[in-house]
Amino acid sequence: MYEFRLYLYISGKTANSVAVACNLKLLLDKKLKNQYSLEVVNLLDNPQRAQEDNILATPTLVKASPPPKRKIIGDFSNEEKVLSGLGLTEEERTEK
Amino acid sequence: MSKRILIIDDDEAVRRSFISALEDSKFQVDTAESGEEGLQMKKDAEYNLIFLDLKMPGMNGVETLREIRKTDKEVPVYIFTAFHKEFFDQLRIVEEQGLNFEVIKKPVGSDLIVTLTKLILGQHEETKEASHV
Repeated sequence: MYEFRLYLYISGKTANSVAVACNLKLLLDKKLKNQYSLEVVNLLDNPQRAQEDNILATPTLVKASPPPKRKIIGDFSNEEKVLSGLGLTEEERTEK
Repeated sequence: MSKRILIIDDDEAVRRSFISALEDSKFQVDTAESGEEGLQMKKDAEYNLIFLDLKMPGMNGVETLREIRKTDKEVPVYIFTAFHKEFFDQLRIVEEQGLNFEVIKKPVGSDLIVTLTKLILGQHEETKEASHV
């Protein structure tokens, strides 16, 4: 069972979307190692699911678990902003 | 020189909402009321970010995006649309053609406009600064 369950909403399998997913995966591999699962969700295939997750724009990364649920929008190139946005900085993880 | 944003939407209320949301920002905001007008403005000026309505009379968002990408593969283009299958079916065509775009949900709130714009244009600025080091 993974400790962190993440969804990445993208708008189609375009070059940009693939690059975003790859960069994010590199970051997560580095910071969370094998403690996470990342599901890439093509918004164009899953409008209903995007509605349920209240997605407003792409790309959006959702931390589904553990709670609280968090979402960040962007290209995720800034490591600190991604981890902070998800509540996954070293400090926040140590506090739990 | 301030960064420039182009809003292409036939709905005047939407264009006004973008201008209002970004009036206190450092960005220059231009608007076009059709795909045709937007393309002409894009030819005449360099834009750093484009918001584009999917459903417009005349040249729609998909056709406009296709024309934009013929000359500019890099500029971020956000297409605003309702998140429904019928609209996404149109976007699937450009996805299959490999054209880059992002989507933003309609109606677009001013908070999201400001957040997204600063995020995209701010990040590009940081990237440029970093490359000088």
